[in-house]
Amino acid sequence: MSTLYFSLLLGLPLLSGILCAFLKRRTLLEAITLFSTALTFVGALLLSAAVLRGTSLITPKGWFFLDALSAYIMLIVTGSAFVVSVYSIGYLRRQIVNRKVDAKMLRLYYMLLNIFLFTMLLVLISNNLGFLWIGSESTTLATAFLVAYYERESSIEAAWKYVIICSVGIGLALFGIILTYFSALHVVSSQSTALNWTSLIAVANQLNPDILKLAFVFALVGFGTKAGLAPMHTWKPDAYGEAPAPISALMAAGLVNVALYSLLRFYILVNKAVAVGFAPTLFVIFGLLSMVIAVPFILVQRDFKRLLAYSSVEHVGIIVFAFGLGTPLAYFGALLHILNNALAKLVLFLTLGNVRLAYDSKIMRRVSGAIKVIPVSATLLIVGVFAITGWPPFGVFVSEFTIVTAGFAAGNIFPSLVFIGVVATIFVGFIYYATQMVFGEPHRRIDEGDGDAFSLILIGALVAILFLLGIAIPSFLSNFIRQAVAIVQG
Amino acid sequence: MFDAQSINLSLEILAVAILVTAFLIVSSRSLLFYVRLFSVQSFLLGLVAVVVATGFGEFHILVAAVLTIGVKAIAIPYVLNKIIDRIKVHKEIEFNLNITTSLLVCGLLVILADSVGKPIIDAQVMHALPVSKVLPESIAMMMIGLFIMLARKQAVSQIVGLLTLENGLFLSGLSITYGMPLIVEIGIFFDILVAALILGVFVFRINETFDTVSVDTLRRLKD
Repeated sequence: MSTLYFSLLLGLPLLSGILCAFLKRRTLLEAITLFSTALTFVGALLLSAAVLRGTSLITPKGWFFLDALSAYIMLIVTGSAFVVSVYSIGYLRRQIVNRKVDAKMLRLYYMLLNIFLFTMLLVLISNNLGFLWIGSESTTLATAFLVAYYERESSIEAAWKYVIICSVGIGLALFGIILTYFSALHVVSSQSTALNWTSLIAVANQLNPDILKLAFVFALVGFGTKAGLAPMHTWKPDAYGEAPAPISALMAAGLVNVALYSLLRFYILVNKAVAVGFAPTLFVIFGLLSMVIAVPFILVQRDFKRLLAYSSVEHVGIIVFAFGLGTPLAYFGALLHILNNALAKLVLFLTLGNVRLAYDSKIMRRVSGAIKVIPVSATLLIVGVFAITGWPPFGVFVSEFTIVTAGFAAGNIFPSLVFIGVVATIFVGFIYYATQMVFGEPHRRIDEGDGDAFSLILIGALVAILFLLGIAIPSFLSNFIRQAVAIVQG
Repeated sequence: MFDAQSINLSLEILAVAILVTAFLIVSSRSLLFYVRLFSVQSFLLGLVAVVVATGFGEFHILVAAVLTIGVKAIAIPYVLNKIIDRIKVHKEIEFNLNITTSLLVCGLLVILADSVGKPIIDAQVMHALPVSKVLPESIAMMMIGLFIMLARKQAVSQIVGLLTLENGLFLSGLSITYGMPLIVEIGIFFDILVAALILGVFVFRINETFDTVSVDTLRRLKD
């Protein structure tokens, strides 16, 4: 049965992507993408419900599987993809009017958006670490032309760096996978299952710890590059800055979490096989480094998309740091933060996409008085800024508070103080730029024209969810996250 | 069919020959020569796969051998040659590091690779697995591939560096695990081929947009 589910889940976006390559009509392209992302999201919901009921979803040869952890990330990824596909319709229609996009580019966009979703899902349901790698590299390849989309000098530069840096990174991760495979060959009887995560975790304590440590370092560098963990984050501001706004949104809300998820699988494995402390220490160090490195670039920033990219570096750091604390409470906070950060990033990238369309610029000092030009987007933007910087009563506050509490409880006093310092400083920078853009008078005459009603309602719904998550975590969600925490604990 | 000693000997000879091609890439400044060397390197790698497949009875690796030769020794070099012809840039003029120093650094990298590979070989001894002597060569290849990407400026050299790194990865896989399951290998080859094609397209675009293919010009994006 699970083979059928997984084929449907992967087949839908893949076939839609292929279909889009042969279509010309705009409405058809939009309808197919909307249909495929909506159905994938529904599929992810049904599969998550099945996982939570305790149904084991693993294909007969064990190559593909779904557990609470992958289901949780999958829900976030497919939900983001759906929001992004709704938003893309209005965004690209306006870019066609502005002559920034032509019919050929439109087809490329919808084709690659579907393929991008397919590659992320491939990573998430792969039990076989080889497939997981293939999926990860494919996410880079699927997004390469989306980063280069507008064919400006700067976008080609960004795309080149993106593909080169991520391919090198993911190449190193492959060495980590080869080493893991090697460490398992003498333990797992069959060659075809020695790469499966479920069989590896079952025999984790018999694997050679030295080899696994080495493997983990390579996996950390490799998937850390994909996630944009400092100091391997340099491609991120370029790529997020140059890609169309909805694609940047899906990279920041989806792809980042897919990369973190891959890294997490290795983290769980190594924690079970190696004496405590090795992987968590590395996570705390790299997590803190990412948070701290992001600060100056956020404080002195001209471009609002790059600002969000550095915010993404910061929050990847927060999540990795939280996992590194190694307690169930911290794991809970980290997983909750993955959701909150994804919601807030969608809100920010998409509302700033509307700012970009209205002002035809992503330079912050050229934007002011947005509240008069695009009142709805500007309102959602300022609320989103308060949400991402960890203000109550929004979800990010709850998850960050949980993480800091866990940090102090685990005795990591100094790192937790650094955490608080970083979050407070970044808040100041964010509010400064956001108020400048939102309030005041426009520098020149800007035609009023906000995003379309559907996407604004969706973004509003995301803000509402962030708000609700700041008030109380619904029991089905905390139940879901607790099951995922149990997997992270090994 | 063959005794273990002669298999290991031929593997070692091939691995050293592969390493020599990597050094020759570092010592040269002609882009066409890089590509030809990469092709030879991939062909030798294909032979390593053939030896592992027949020598240890792991016949699924024969498919990987055919793919290595088909994709990496023929298809990718063909594409890279087309690109070099079209962009009309044949020589690497400027270096971040000159050739003599580069060769010296690569020599040191080989020594470093030997020490990195040691715990893995120790583990092989501990678990009474067949010890492969070519692991240090494969790690050295990865490092030299990375080094080429850092030391050279032409976009084509960057691609060759990346591909050398990937050849090193494949060699390491062959030497310590006798290759991954076949379907995984096929997927990896597909990804590498697509990556090379995409990077090739970008080289054209860089050439059209910047009128040069030195990645030095890619310095616009800054904070």
